Amino acid sequence: MSIFAVNFLCREVLRDHAFRAAMKHDPAQALAGKDLSDAERRALIGGDVGALFRMGANAFLMAYLARFEVCGLNVDIYNQRMRAEKIDELGRPLVLDQPA
Amino acid sequence: MANIVAGFGVPHTPVFPFFVKRDGPNCETAKLFAAQAEQLAATRPDVIVMFDTDHLNTFFLDNLPIFAVGVDQTFTGPNDEPREVPDYTIRSVPDLAGHIRREAITAGFDVALTQKFSVDHSIIVPLHFLTPNMHVPVIPVFISGHVPPLPPAARCYALGQAVGRAIASWPSALRIVVMGSGSFSLEVGGPRMAPGRSDGVPDPDWVTRVITYLEQAQTNTLIAQATERQLFKAGNVGGELLNWIAMLGAIGNRRPNYVAPQMQNGHAYGVWRW
Repeated sequence: MSIFAVNFLCREVLRDHAFRAAMKHDPAQALAGKDLSDAERRALIGGDVGALFRMGANAFLMAYLARFEVCGLNVDIYNQRMRAEKIDELGRPLVLDQPA
Repeated sequence: MANIVAGFGVPHTPVFPFFVKRDGPNCETAKLFAAQAEQLAATRPDVIVMFDTDHLNTFFLDNLPIFAVGVDQTFTGPNDEPREVPDYTIRSVPDLAGHIRREAITAGFDVALTQKFSVDHSIIVPLHFLTPNMHVPVIPVFISGHVPPLPPAARCYALGQAVGRAIASWPSALRIVVMGSGSFSLEVGGPRMAPGRSDGVPDPDWVTRVITYLEQAQTNTLIAQATERQLFKAGNVGGELLNWIAMLGAIGNRRPNYVAPQMQNGHAYGVWRW
């Protein structure tokens, strides 16, 4: 379950300022050593937070990517991409993606 | 013995310190916190026991207790960089905190222990406004309110009751204020954010109902309605209401002096004194 790694590195963007700077500068490079699936890596680098949400990533933690403006995100772009997601009454993704 | 002298329900919106610094003492948030700070000062508290949901900062998904107590001489925060909030070191009362944990465990609650810990905005932001000199020691009691499965509302109320009994059995004559921190309806970072914002209030009707139940001391109804389904229907951090429910368990079934809503944020400011 490497979605744990996605959640963890979202918080590392908050906690580890060197990692935050690296993620701003070159996400692919910053993520090179991380234990991620190809789909997770691709979605992170592209700022595809909707895809990550469908893979089970924690939305509260992903908001750090927008707050600190990494992976091409900012509050507006993040907001648009997340609001485009189809959800059930409890705010969960209607369709779950495999993180493969 | 120690006495619970008041209950408070507080919001903890991380951007509030920034807004209040920018907008001054006459803005709505500054006034609402100032009114609560005045009420709190009048209770002359020796210790604050705060029910709080950690936002995956004190704990994380690798080790996530449903209930926990912070037991140490001091703790620090905030550890999540809310704007315009200084780094605080907050005194605590480890012997009383340890007693609360022991009594809760004896009563059947498997309460985890944390020491040498830091906390996030959910504890620091209310204290920043209510006790800015940090002169009142604080004991945090953590309730997992964000990540499913959530503890049932009745269980959180019963935990509050156990904490209340633990305080009543503490031999020192201390005046204790119990707080619950959090929102009633709020989505942070999820698809139910309002356009252009990083948060939203998915279920304003639930906020209105919660406030009515609080005002009328309809605690049993509140507990019955606050199912996990309803809490997540109200937002991905809607489970923070559990902290208010635990506070009610500690103080007993009483009517509040007031519950002042801030509907645009899905939360309220509550004061129970007697």
